[in-house]
Amino acid sequence: MQRRSLVSAALAAGLLFAAAGCADSDPKSTSGAAASTLKIGFLGSLTGTYQAVGTDLKSGFELYLATHDNKLGGHPIDLKIADEGDGAPTAVPAATKLIKDDKVVALTGIVGGGSVAAVAPLLAEAKIPLIGSNGRPELKDLSGVWTTSFMSTDTGQSIAQYIKDKVNGPVYAIGPDYQGGYDQVGGFTTEFLKLGGTLVNGKATFTPFPTTTNFLPFFSQIKASNAKAVYTFYAGKAAIDFVKQYAQSDAKDIPLYSAGFLTEGSVLQAQGDAAKNILNVCNYSPDLDNEENRKFVAAWKQKHPDATPTTYAMASYDAAAVLDRAIAAAGENPTPESINAAVGKLGQIPSPRGNWQFGPKTHSPIQKWYLRQVRNDGRALANVMVQDLATVGA
Amino acid sequence: MSILRRLTPLGFPALIVVLLPMAWVLDDYATKTLTSILVLGLLAASVALLTGVAGLPTLGQTAPYLVGAYTAATLVRHDVSIGVVQLLAAAAAGALFSLVTAPLVVYARGVVVLMITLALGELTMTVAGRWKSVTHGTDGLLAFAAPAPLPGLVTLDTDRATYLYVLTVVAVLVGVMLLVLRSPAGALLRAARDGEARMRASGHPVAGYLTVAYVAAGGLAGAAGSLLVTVERYVSPGAGGFDISALVLLAVVIGGATSLVGALLGAGLVVATRDWIASRDWFGGSMAGHAPLVLGGLFILCVYLLPRGLLGKRTAHE
Amino acid sequence: MDAYLIPAVDGVGYGLLLFVVAAGLTLAFGVGDVLNLAHGTLFAFGAYAAAKVSDGTWLSLALAVLVGTAAAAAGGAVLSALLVPLAGRGHLAQALLTFGVALVVGDLLVGLFGPDELPVKVPALLDRPVDIAGHSYPGYRLAFIGVAALIAVVLYVVVARTRVGSLVRATVDDRDMVATLGVNPFMVRTGVLAAGGALAGLAGALGAPIIGPGPRTADLVLMLSLVVVVLGGLGSIGGAFVAAIAVGEIQTIGVTSEVTQDFAPFLLFGAMAVVLSARARGLLTSRRSAA
Repeated sequence: MQRRSLVSAALAAGLLFAAAGCADSDPKSTSGAAASTLKIGFLGSLTGTYQAVGTDLKSGFELYLATHDNKLGGHPIDLKIADEGDGAPTAVPAATKLIKDDKVVALTGIVGGGSVAAVAPLLAEAKIPLIGSNGRPELKDLSGVWTTSFMSTDTGQSIAQYIKDKVNGPVYAIGPDYQGGYDQVGGFTTEFLKLGGTLVNGKATFTPFPTTTNFLPFFSQIKASNAKAVYTFYAGKAAIDFVKQYAQSDAKDIPLYSAGFLTEGSVLQAQGDAAKNILNVCNYSPDLDNEENRKFVAAWKQKHPDATPTTYAMASYDAAAVLDRAIAAAGENPTPESINAAVGKLGQIPSPRGNWQFGPKTHSPIQKWYLRQVRNDGRALANVMVQDLATVGA
Repeated sequence: MSILRRLTPLGFPALIVVLLPMAWVLDDYATKTLTSILVLGLLAASVALLTGVAGLPTLGQTAPYLVGAYTAATLVRHDVSIGVVQLLAAAAAGALFSLVTAPLVVYARGVVVLMITLALGELTMTVAGRWKSVTHGTDGLLAFAAPAPLPGLVTLDTDRATYLYVLTVVAVLVGVMLLVLRSPAGALLRAARDGEARMRASGHPVAGYLTVAYVAAGGLAGAAGSLLVTVERYVSPGAGGFDISALVLLAVVIGGATSLVGALLGAGLVVATRDWIASRDWFGGSMAGHAPLVLGGLFILCVYLLPRGLLGKRTAHE
Repeated sequence: MDAYLIPAVDGVGYGLLLFVVAAGLTLAFGVGDVLNLAHGTLFAFGAYAAAKVSDGTWLSLALAVLVGTAAAAAGGAVLSALLVPLAGRGHLAQALLTFGVALVVGDLLVGLFGPDELPVKVPALLDRPVDIAGHSYPGYRLAFIGVAALIAVVLYVVVARTRVGSLVRATVDDRDMVATLGVNPFMVRTGVLAAGGALAGLAGALGAPIIGPGPRTADLVLMLSLVVVVLGGLGSIGGAFVAAIAVGEIQTIGVTSEVTQDFAPFLLFGAMAVVLSARARGLLTSRRSAA
């Protein structure tokens, strides 16, 4: 058929050139003259399960740029954005493009620990530093890896003493069945057991991930176990399901403690009143009383009038701040290596969460954790600061 | 007879001849992209073998693909660094997997096969996610050491070297498969697809032929899995997810289900389109992440306009 | 045993939800002869309608159900029209088309409603725990069980006791015979896809507080409905009912015990693959070919 062979020939002829032509034809970044434009890569989940977090990370970084004349360390910044998707299968090609095609001098962002693990070797090979603002798995080689968020085990560890003091009986620990869940819940259970606390079943329960959307069967078990409190970590949709179902289940009268991510950001609006009174631990609260936070929240509210900033946005904002200081300290022609070296020499970083600095062992913040409770704050529900908890980090 | 039809016998060698110098023509990023396309293309070829040639439309070739990938990754982590060894082991694992699951698949026909293979694909992905002691669950296996293709050769440290290795493997495997399909074995398979009742009446063991084809396709997919690990240095359950099955099926539909070369071209077109759309700043970057829209649109267009894809041949079902 | 009461009840609720959705898919496949891979998307129509229209009042809930059901029914009818150019092309082409539509519409839904899972407001009367034999259970779910059971009964009556129902059953048994009765095949297919869509939309609108609207909803619902339809016999509404309840129970009670927790996902897909192939061997000798 005429039409068919024409269509076929046209498509087939264009094919290889389309594939080859994928290469971007951006001019190479000049790292010569002073105040040259630098390319920074942002990798975050702009689609898929973690889109809300990825978008927050992007907003936080962009807010810093917007409030600092689009410059970091005195250099104008060309921010290259790529989609991490749901994990490594999307993250690795996206990171490859940023490294090989856009030739960025540093990478920031990354929601998932799995994505970090997969991308880290590529970055190490290309000697590009990572100023990660969320995900942080176990890594062997930390020489080029920095995280402005937290070590996943820090969250639970910082609230263990508080729960030990307040709860008179066994605690039921529950979380999702993957490394992130093990670290978050495990941080709590390890410290809690060390302090002499008792766990129901002697250990935590892990729910199939990411398939569990119905937690009612587990809540029946919690009730039947006579636990005096529940400690949990969930994020995203699972957090919404967990909280909403908890409030109407057998376990509804058992006090619920959690990692802050259970009620952070857009999930809180989705949960509504079901989230009331949940005590949670986080490294940030929008109502913290310090100068940096006042500036940050005010700038955020201008850009996003309907939302309060989350810990995700704050960590990404801090990543930009870290890069700002490191690039400034890296001399006239910052290279990936000189930027990386400069990050290692930074001291205290003033931040909306309070001052913090990179721990020499973990390249992750030594920071204070705060106890918050979900309460009515004016007309909306919010995570309200209750008290300081421990400062954790190494 | 259309130009493409006339060129088809030359098609495959010509394709390889065109692709070979790309290793020196293209830059690092485009080379890496083309390498990924070749890996997916090999997987698509295995889907085409089943869907078009054997008449078993499948959404489950990601299962032996994952099996092969995890096999290769595990070998890499145990310091087996010869590429060909990883490849053979992965292909064998994929073939074995298909041998075991063949009784579930080869007795069904039509869309029922789609459903069975879909279930198998999902099942395998679930096992990959839950069998943490072997697969590290949803966190995936990192397999970073670059292999040496054969004992005594240098390791694949550059993108160009990796590309040439993958191209060679794909060329050899697809080439062998094309030769086999030109032989009486291929004729038997196509006859089983087109006139099953007649074949059966003549005493041919149709289920046996389909099993052989299914196992061969499993081996191809397993080999593709090994190449995935060589290229990406990482495997996770997500690499064999439903979206990959859909992508590969689309590649086959576009390329023409009966043609292995078509599957390679289809894979290239689909991946290039998806990545290209994602990387353009159209509509202020809002097109990024709308790959499903583009893919779905391509699917629909293809089903309407290219019933036999680019290079497919007429079968008795039409 | 007491700890299993709520999961058991919950399993019935989940199963009934799956049944209503799967009944629609069964109709499409058994009667319309179309493997509608966009069925999950039609469920999503209903779920998004519930999220956007329902604001806590009973009136808005009713409106949401109406909108969701109508939108999904219309979607089914449109699908039937889209399939017209593919006449004579075989089941694979039809399935591929519905698949492409599912991808496109799914992406449009995310573009329209955003990438997050949307919360659904239910009337305050139902949005609280109720007491079942000393246990607390979400009020909305209990109400849903009642309504879904009613829908199941109505479906049964329609299929088993009315003329339309007998036409449906006859077509499943012997399509060619029914064609000789002079019924317009295009109208039958459109009607069945619209009715199937309506069921999916209804399930989506009512079940949104249980399986909410989001980017993953369509895939999840499609997968589960396929499992139910296959286990239930690829054309039997009664079979789909039993299978749906079984799947619901596996999903709820199955996850509570550590022993069965690991097997639950395998159970579903494994059973599906086994049943399909066993039937396929049997199907080779029966009149009704699945190809």
